[in-house]
Amino acid sequence: MSHQRVQPKVLLQPHDKMLLLQHGTTDLLALAQRRGASLHKLLSGTGIFEQDLHKPLGRLSHQDWCKLIHNCQQQLSSPEIPFLLGMALLQNNYIALCQSLLFAADLQQAMRQLCQFRHQLCPAFFPVIYQEQHHIVLELKPALSMDGAAGKSGHPPHFMVCMLFALIVDLVKQQLGSSQGLTLQLQHSELSKPRHFSAWLDCEVSLEQPVNALRIHLGIWRQRFSQHHADKYQAARRTCLQLNTIIERRSGLLEQIYRMQRRALPQMLTLEQVATQLGTNSSALRRQLSLQHTSFAKLADEVRQDTARRLLQSAQYSNRQLANRLGYSDEHNFRRAFKRWTGILPSHFRDIF
Amino acid sequence: MWKQHQRKLLFSLFVLWCHLLLAFQLGDLKPGIDIDLIDILGEGTTLMVCCGWLWLILSSRPSGRVTELLYFGSLLLVYSYFLDLTDEFIQYADHIRLMSWLESFSAPVGMIVLTFGLIGWHQEQRAIDRQLRGRELFLRDHRLIDPLTQLYGHEYLHAVLPRELAMHQSEHKPLSLLVLDIDQFAAFNRQQGIAAGDHFLGQLSELLISQLRYSDVICRYSGDCFVAILPETTEAQASVLAIHLQQHVHHLGKKAEVPTVTLVAMQIQQMSALGALEQAFATLAKAKTAANLQLQPTC
Repeated sequence: MSHQRVQPKVLLQPHDKMLLLQHGTTDLLALAQRRGASLHKLLSGTGIFEQDLHKPLGRLSHQDWCKLIHNCQQQLSSPEIPFLLGMALLQNNYIALCQSLLFAADLQQAMRQLCQFRHQLCPAFFPVIYQEQHHIVLELKPALSMDGAAGKSGHPPHFMVCMLFALIVDLVKQQLGSSQGLTLQLQHSELSKPRHFSAWLDCEVSLEQPVNALRIHLGIWRQRFSQHHADKYQAARRTCLQLNTIIERRSGLLEQIYRMQRRALPQMLTLEQVATQLGTNSSALRRQLSLQHTSFAKLADEVRQDTARRLLQSAQYSNRQLANRLGYSDEHNFRRAFKRWTGILPSHFRDIF
Repeated sequence: MWKQHQRKLLFSLFVLWCHLLLAFQLGDLKPGIDIDLIDILGEGTTLMVCCGWLWLILSSRPSGRVTELLYFGSLLLVYSYFLDLTDEFIQYADHIRLMSWLESFSAPVGMIVLTFGLIGWHQEQRAIDRQLRGRELFLRDHRLIDPLTQLYGHEYLHAVLPRELAMHQSEHKPLSLLVLDIDQFAAFNRQQGIAAGDHFLGQLSELLISQLRYSDVICRYSGDCFVAILPETTEAQASVLAIHLQQHVHHLGKKAEVPTVTLVAMQIQQMSALGALEQAFATLAKAKTAANLQLQPTC
């Protein structure tokens, strides 16, 4: 392990005002108000002031954004809002990032752009992208913890995931004419009527999956976008870069740890090692993690689980090989852990895929 | 309301007027010094409030037994307070006990009658609640209403359709479904903006409400898809309705500004509501592909 001195890393905190009001808030408010919600009640408890809404550089924090979404769902029972919001964001002329997506050459360039500047639109998630045999898989993982019980219907993280996927699916539909080649996997479980759901997303959706992921068929990954315009793309990209001077790119704690652990596989880093790398100490780190409703062991487990699933889906590995790659002492431990994650044994999992 | 309760109001005025005449007959006006202003103020207020109750009861209730009880109860109360008030102005000779008897009799009797009326009201409300629960199932719930269009959502449809289906089948009456789907609504949203899309949905739902019959149940099934249950309607009648609606949608705005819609009408033959819905959507998909083929230029 390296012993070089590390600067304490500036991490994104839930209360950092790192989001622009124009990048989503105003659109959401407009949608909700058209459905009869009152502005006053929507903004209550969010720390957003009505007079700031029209300022071009008015800001809000991740916490405010979650609270606003929560308020919106309290007031309206309108499951279509996240999807409409995703579409509205994509068409919003004030969001340079979305403009650049519309003028990108192909989906690959668009996704690269989206990942590079995602902190301008949705810093609460980070993407994990990898290739399978015929698909590019884009998983969305929470970079920050969100309040609210996980898995509950319509809570803010689920709202944001739907919003982001709706944005991407709508982009593909607009540029390539149809959303064929896209498959969506969502963790969400409480959608009683999938038709209602697919009406807005218009692609194959499977629910109750282990991760939130979009699978993109390789055939459309490099297919040329119909509205591609190299100059306009570059112009929008420059605006994004300029915006970076105002909205600094920071990653969340969960994201940092997840990425560190993935790099470290098959060994897992200890709490002390991670704390040293982040320029803090272990008790402070533990406290921060508990503030975000998670623990160090949980995160390490998540990394192993995701990696195991990915390896199993992409190629034929024996349990012994998998156990080695994930840093388990023997295959028996690995099998047991896998059973705990998925409820089935690795051999069954292989049969399914 | 006026016509319904005209007699009651006139009767109340008549009673009070009779009492006033009687009081002047039996007693004399008090000299100015004996009049206590505070007493008059208190008793006057009580009387006014009581008159207000009488008024509220008459204006919010349909005529009936419960209303009669409530009315006579509060009339007696008003009368007793009116007696109280007139006592302040008029003094009677000591041997005339009639007025104080009237006063002590009318207040308790009025309250008892009023109580019976309230019990009746309570029972009536419970009966109404029970009846509505039967009609609306568990469905008197504002969360089932889509906030944008003020129509019911798909949960309502899934709850109501099986019941309607069972009812119609047991009575051997035809039940039809009407499915309306907006063509290319996502593209419309993209070109015109989400606000325009929302506006169109609002217009469309108002059109549906105004053009369909009172007995039809209209639901916004999903974003761009509406389903209406048409009770006691044959397929032929439903088709006529569909054509009628189609024409109205055309007139909603200029051609470029309004997306076209696909309408499918179908009489339910299946035993299960889900099966019926599935078939309706299959028919809809077929109609859509047929329309797309028509639109494509012949090569």
